[in-house]
Amino acid sequence: MRSLIPLFLLLTAFVSAQTKMNTSEADALKVKVRAQAEATETILSDFVQYKHLDFLSNDIISTGKLAFKTPDKVKWEYVTPFLYTVIFKNETLYINDSGNKSAMDIGSNKIFKQLNQLITASISGDLFDAEAFTVSYFKKEKKSEAHFEPTDPEFREYIKSFQIIFNSKGEVAEVKMVEPSDDYTLIIFSNRTTNQPLSDAVFAH
Amino acid sequence: MRFLLTSLLLMLCISCTSYPKRNHFNPTVTSRVSILNPYFSDTAQDYIYRANIKAFDKNFSGIFIVKKLGIEHHRIAFTTELGNKIFDFTFEGDKFKVNHIVKELDKKLLINVLRNDFEVLVKENPLLEKTFVYKKDTVYQTTILGKNHFHFCRQKQLYKITHIKRGKHKVEFLFSEINDDLANYIEINHRNLRLSIRLKSI
Repeated sequence: MRSLIPLFLLLTAFVSAQTKMNTSEADALKVKVRAQAEATETILSDFVQYKHLDFLSNDIISTGKLAFKTPDKVKWEYVTPFLYTVIFKNETLYINDSGNKSAMDIGSNKIFKQLNQLITASISGDLFDAEAFTVSYFKKEKKSEAHFEPTDPEFREYIKSFQIIFNSKGEVAEVKMVEPSDDYTLIIFSNRTTNQPLSDAVFAH
Repeated sequence: MRFLLTSLLLMLCISCTSYPKRNHFNPTVTSRVSILNPYFSDTAQDYIYRANIKAFDKNFSGIFIVKKLGIEHHRIAFTTELGNKIFDFTFEGDKFKVNHIVKELDKKLLINVLRNDFEVLVKENPLLEKTFVYKKDTVYQTTILGKNHFHFCRQKQLYKITHIKRGKHKVEFLFSEINDDLANYIEINHRNLRLSIRLKSI
C-alpha cells in the first residue's frame, strides 16, 4: 500500500498540471474577463439548459433566451418545452409562468439570486474578489474555467460548485451548477450578440 | 326534539353505511387487471411533468420527475425550472427515503403528505380488497400504506383514485389525456388540506 502513495501523488500532480492554471495564467484570465466585462453594456444570447439527474436515462433539455443589461438586469426566457420567464432586477425576482405573473418565494429563490449575482458579477469582472467563494482556475483546450466553491456552510448544502467556462475572448460560454449529490444543471450559450441597444421594456414584468 | 333525534339517527346510519353501499357500487367477482396503475411502470421511460402546486395560499411551479428503477422502486424529484432540486425521494417496497429536501420544506407533516400522495401515484398493484361495478366503471377497493382507496377504471383504463376515510373523500387523483400508458395530465386534489398538484407531461 505504501508503495502506491507516491504513485498516487505523482498522478495527482500530473493531472493538476495538465488542467490547473498557474497564478500568471489565472491573472491573465481575470484581466481578460474584466476588460471584456467593462466593454459590455448589453448581451443577448440563446441558451440550452441540460438538467442532469443521475437516475434519469436522459438529461432534461430546455431552451431559451438570455438578456442582460448593465448593471444588474437579467432575463431568462424559457421557450421550450414550456414558456417561463424569470427577470432579476432591482434585487427582485419576477416570474411570468405562461401568462401567470408572480414573485417566487421558495427557499431556492436565494440560490437563484446567488446564481444570477454570480453570472452578473462574472460579466462585470469583480467576481474574482468575492469572499463568498473559493475560486480555482483551469485550462481546457482553448477555453478557461473558473470554479467557485461556496464558503458559507448553508449555501454549500445547496451548491457544491459553480463552474463558469469562458471562451477565448473571455466571454461566458457555459455555466455549470453542481449540487452536493453531483447532479448538475449545465447552461450552454450560443448566438451571443453584445452591445445591441436593449430597452428597459425588455425587462418589464 | 323528536325531529332532532330522528335526524341524528339518520345521520348516524348514513355515516355508518359503507362508502361503496352509499354510492350504490355493486359487488362483483374480483377480476384482477394485470397492472392496475400503469402510468409510471416503464423503467425505460423518464417521466417528466411541468408541475403547478397550490399549497395553502402559495403557488409553486417546477419540474416533477418520476423514474421507475425496478420492481416497486421509484425515484421522485421536484426541481425549479432553473434546475434547482427542491425535493428528491426514493420509494422502494415499504421503504421511503428522503434523499434531499430544501430546508424550508423539511417538515415531517408535509413530507408525510407528499409520501402518501406519491406512493398512491406510482403504486402499480396495490393490495386488492374488493371489486365493484358502478355504471360503466369497475371500481377496485384497495389498501395503500394501510389506507382505504378506490381505483376507478373505465374501459380497463384507470382514470381516478380516491382516498376515503370514514366515508369521506380525503384525496382525489385524476388521470386524463391518456395514451399508451402515459397519463399526460394528472391532478391531485386534497379535500381537507388546501393543497392541489397539477402535472402536465412535457
